[in-house]
Amino acid sequence: MTIDQRPPTAEEGPEEPTNRPTPMHLFRNWLKRRYAKRLIWLTLIISAGWIAATFLAVYFMNMSGGPASAIMSEIELTMYVLAWVCAPLMGVTLAIALYSMIGGWGRVKGDKQPDQDGPGIRNNSIATIGWAVWVSALAAFLVVWGLVELANIQAFANGSVAANQQPNSQQSITVNVTGQQWVWTFAYPDQNKVTTDVLVVPINTPIYFNVTSKDVVHSFWVVEMGVKIDANPGAITNTGFTATKLGTFNIRCAELCGLHHAYMETQVKVVTQDEYNSWVRENGGVRLS
Amino acid sequence: MSVTEPLSPTTGEPVSVVASRNRLGVWFIIISCTTGSLSLLISYSYLWSLNVNSAWAPPNNAWATLWPFWAIFVGEILAGLAMRWGWKGMEKGDRGRMLAGSLISSLLLIAAFVGQVAQIMTFPFGPSDGAYASVTFWFALSNAGWVLLSSFLAFGIFNRTLAGKITATNASHAGLVAMWLVWLAGVAFIGAICTTTMQESPNTNSPDFGNFQEP
Amino acid sequence: MTTATVTVTIHEAPDVIQPRQHGKPGGLLRYCNFVTALILGIVLAALAYWITGMFTTGEALNANFVPIGINVQITAMYVGWVVGFMIGIGAFVGPIRWFLGRDLTHADAEYLAGRGQGRMKFWKYTTDHKIVGIQYLIVSMALLGFGGLLAMLIRTELGVTWAELFNPNFYNSIIGTHGIVMIIAMIVVVSGPLGNFIVPIMVGARDMAFPRLNALSIWLLVAAIPPLASNLALGGLRDGWTVYQPLADQAPVGMIGYQITIITFGFSTAIASVNLMTTIVKMRAKGMTWSRVPIFVYGIFASSLMGLIWFPMYQYSQWFALSDRVINTSFYVPAQGGSVWLYENLFWLLGHPEVYVIVLPGVAALLELMVVFLRKPLFSYKFAVAGIFGIVGLSAVVWVHHMYMTGWAPSSNYPFMLSTEMISIPISFLVLVMLGTMWRARPWTRLPMMAVYAVVWNKVIGGITGVFLSDVPVDQYMHGSMFVVAHFHYMLMGAGLFSAMAAIAYWFPKMTGRYLDNRWGSIGFWVAFGGFQLTFLSMFAAGLQGMPRRVLQFDSLFNVSNWISTIGAYIIGIGMLIFLAAVINSWRSGEIAPANPYGAKTLEAQVPTPVPPENFAVLPVITSDPYGYGSPDPYELEDEARRAALEGGEPAKVGAS
Repeated sequence: MTIDQRPPTAEEGPEEPTNRPTPMHLFRNWLKRRYAKRLIWLTLIISAGWIAATFLAVYFMNMSGGPASAIMSEIELTMYVLAWVCAPLMGVTLAIALYSMIGGWGRVKGDKQPDQDGPGIRNNSIATIGWAVWVSALAAFLVVWGLVELANIQAFANGSVAANQQPNSQQSITVNVTGQQWVWTFAYPDQNKVTTDVLVVPINTPIYFNVTSKDVVHSFWVVEMGVKIDANPGAITNTGFTATKLGTFNIRCAELCGLHHAYMETQVKVVTQDEYNSWVRENGGVRLS
Repeated sequence: MSVTEPLSPTTGEPVSVVASRNRLGVWFIIISCTTGSLSLLISYSYLWSLNVNSAWAPPNNAWATLWPFWAIFVGEILAGLAMRWGWKGMEKGDRGRMLAGSLISSLLLIAAFVGQVAQIMTFPFGPSDGAYASVTFWFALSNAGWVLLSSFLAFGIFNRTLAGKITATNASHAGLVAMWLVWLAGVAFIGAICTTTMQESPNTNSPDFGNFQEP
Repeated sequence: MTTATVTVTIHEAPDVIQPRQHGKPGGLLRYCNFVTALILGIVLAALAYWITGMFTTGEALNANFVPIGINVQITAMYVGWVVGFMIGIGAFVGPIRWFLGRDLTHADAEYLAGRGQGRMKFWKYTTDHKIVGIQYLIVSMALLGFGGLLAMLIRTELGVTWAELFNPNFYNSIIGTHGIVMIIAMIVVVSGPLGNFIVPIMVGARDMAFPRLNALSIWLLVAAIPPLASNLALGGLRDGWTVYQPLADQAPVGMIGYQITIITFGFSTAIASVNLMTTIVKMRAKGMTWSRVPIFVYGIFASSLMGLIWFPMYQYSQWFALSDRVINTSFYVPAQGGSVWLYENLFWLLGHPEVYVIVLPGVAALLELMVVFLRKPLFSYKFAVAGIFGIVGLSAVVWVHHMYMTGWAPSSNYPFMLSTEMISIPISFLVLVMLGTMWRARPWTRLPMMAVYAVVWNKVIGGITGVFLSDVPVDQYMHGSMFVVAHFHYMLMGAGLFSAMAAIAYWFPKMTGRYLDNRWGSIGFWVAFGGFQLTFLSMFAAGLQGMPRRVLQFDSLFNVSNWISTIGAYIIGIGMLIFLAAVINSWRSGEIAPANPYGAKTLEAQVPTPVPPENFAVLPVITSDPYGYGSPDPYELEDEARRAALEGGEPAKVGAS
């Protein structure tokens, strides 16, 4: 059977309406296949399971009291966004593999070689092009989201947030952080060089850190604030946060730094402004603001 | 496959087939060595740009004398050219040119090695005198190692020509060594160009080790 | 694979002029074997230690107050070991013969290839690619066993949350040694045994391009292991497998073992890569165009290419580290102008491509074998090749994602986040190829096929957690935590090791002549798989809770997840032991397998088992790719009929089945 697929010429006039199947029609026909419906259901179930798992993940992240800063909130939001946009892709992948494994398309057991070959599908341009477009779009979204969020947290960390966006317009505090095997030391250069081994910061005030090390590489990780930067010998790195929650949170070293790396941890106390001021005075400092 | 082409005694394939295989293998090895030497280039330029703890420059700014780097580089270039000249001659059936070329090449490489060792002995600093000294030592050390290996190859070609193993129809080994020597000059060139163009660090305000600047 | 044959017989060719035979075939190599290598290695090591001891005083200190003298002595000892071992095994005989013009005769080559020798050929400088493949298999299994044992120790320490079993020095040493041993083992576990044994046959060659270099690569690997293993006796390498500087500079002399191992292993990798790549490019059978090459060969090629290009960076980083110790240079000593960031860059320039060096051959092997068990053509071959080379290309520009939090160049985080997230595109191509091949096929449920499903699961988990880690804001929380550890175990072990197990099970009949016991192999595999999920899913939880990596003791918040991880790890151990027992038992007394046990169409399935000395009596000529499976598609026929019916204006008569 031959089908005339030439475009209509002028003599023939406009194309007659034909009953050639539309893509939608083909798709509906495809949906009639038994495996198609089942795969769609499997995909939905797996994606839903994954989305549920992301709540569990963020629950784990908050078990020690976070989020305690806007940065940490941004990180958790990003977790959700990344997980959710990836969910359909993950669902499809696992659904097909699972369906094939449980024998949805049949399977051959035993040690005798199957006598019958599967369908000889070597390519399917809809599948390959569609997949490539889907994945590329996904990656593009991830990149754009990531870049915007990175710019966001960098702004939080390095103090370039516009004044009216800061939690309050109080003067910021700079803290010099020194890592050495195996303690953290915090010095407040603006407060007459108060020095302490437990970080004390007032709530809702931008804190900026200069970080360095006296010996090997450490990593300054304020867990519930979502802030981390390496402390490198011979170099100074910068980070910062604005605490949004009162309480005591953890600081750990996140880079193997020798024998007692595991014990190189301390705490950050987020206190009110008044408590902070009196703490500074008790330690012989001057509140300069 | 020409009728007169000799066959490899071990696999029975025509020697040109074996030669093309060997050539590709040498190319791959050169790629590998290139990235190795690139890591020296990275080290040199990175430490130069950082000037950590203001300790890039050697004590008293006693930089290494530059001309030996270039002299050794030129020596290696000439060694490569000599080998190539001999190889081209051998392909035309001129055994004398092959012998002369490989001998000149080997002697030049030995001279380059001796020069390299002499340069290492006369550096105005020790390996522990700052970052510049460290990387410069490594340029010299790695070049000495490569030159030593290459002179083994060049002498090998000379010896094999004497033994009648390198013939007009089967001269590919000489060509491979000539190719390798070009790369060898490349290593020397990286060292020479780095030490010549990057000396005083551009970063004059590097943080002191373990301390913060006063606000 | 549809093949025709041409008569290119070579050995009977009477007109091959032989060089003069010096002595008996094999010459000096007749007297070189593993025992002479061991003896010479130990003797030279002792000699070097003793001689350098006479010249060093042991009083001078380096920048980190470590005495230089003992460093020099230990370095000399290790170098003496490697050189002595290589002399003893006969590695230097070849170059010296070349120098003297004493080229190999055919009889020499036959002797070197181990013809007509008994089991002794496995202990010698044997050039036959099939022998080298078996040697690699044994060595990589030994390495995996050693690394696995260390993993059990680590998990035991972390599971016993109420006490410190090991002192910090020993604990830190075993995490470092576990890491690097496993990395080395995983780099060689597919490319070594299968790349050497299977690939030459698969492309239709009689041997590798450079048989003697092949022997050199395996024996360099063997020589590289003792320095690494001995570090535990010499104070340990207590700095993790990344041995960040300048911490590594403070470490005891065991660190030198690590450095010598990496330098030696670097040579081994480069040589093996050159050999494999040259074989693949130059020695393919007639008619095997680049679009007919089996996909596994592409995987091995890509992996070798990345190893070849990037390994020297790592090797040089260790050269510099060694010279910081021994001649007191200051590459990584900040007080003297060195930089820790220099080390981190050089290290990760290999460090990241190396992940793909490990994973790609395994995944390519799965693509190769799943086709056989699904009896279906590989779905979109070109997509698979594009995926593989996309990964190779991007692998060069993503290393900084390991250094997001080092602060070395905060603005570089933007472009490197872009490139890192781009790499999910070629990886997803490979996933699509897997899914498309599974699509509507009836799997034959042998162990290698079932392993594919296991690996897909692991890859999905590893991949999606990789998406989190590639994102700088999220990485700011995750970096250096147990989350990262769980992620890369999902990739390297979940995708890498499990696919290596599948690949070894699949080619086991070809390599040994016997089937790998499907029942016990599967039991071992699935027990290990279950334990793996338990271990590393709960490790994700620990990481999310904020547990840093490489710690000995931790907050009680992390207790529960660590207990679960430890139980899971023991289950992995049991599973792996069962699998190992199945391998050993099948090797000794398994069911004899026919030449083509699974009905594959690749060339290696067409040669007899055991594979004859030169693989092919006559060299094959290839006329199609090896994926010519498949019957006409019933749905296609149905759609055709429906379309015809619709266009003919008649109602469709064929219902969905």
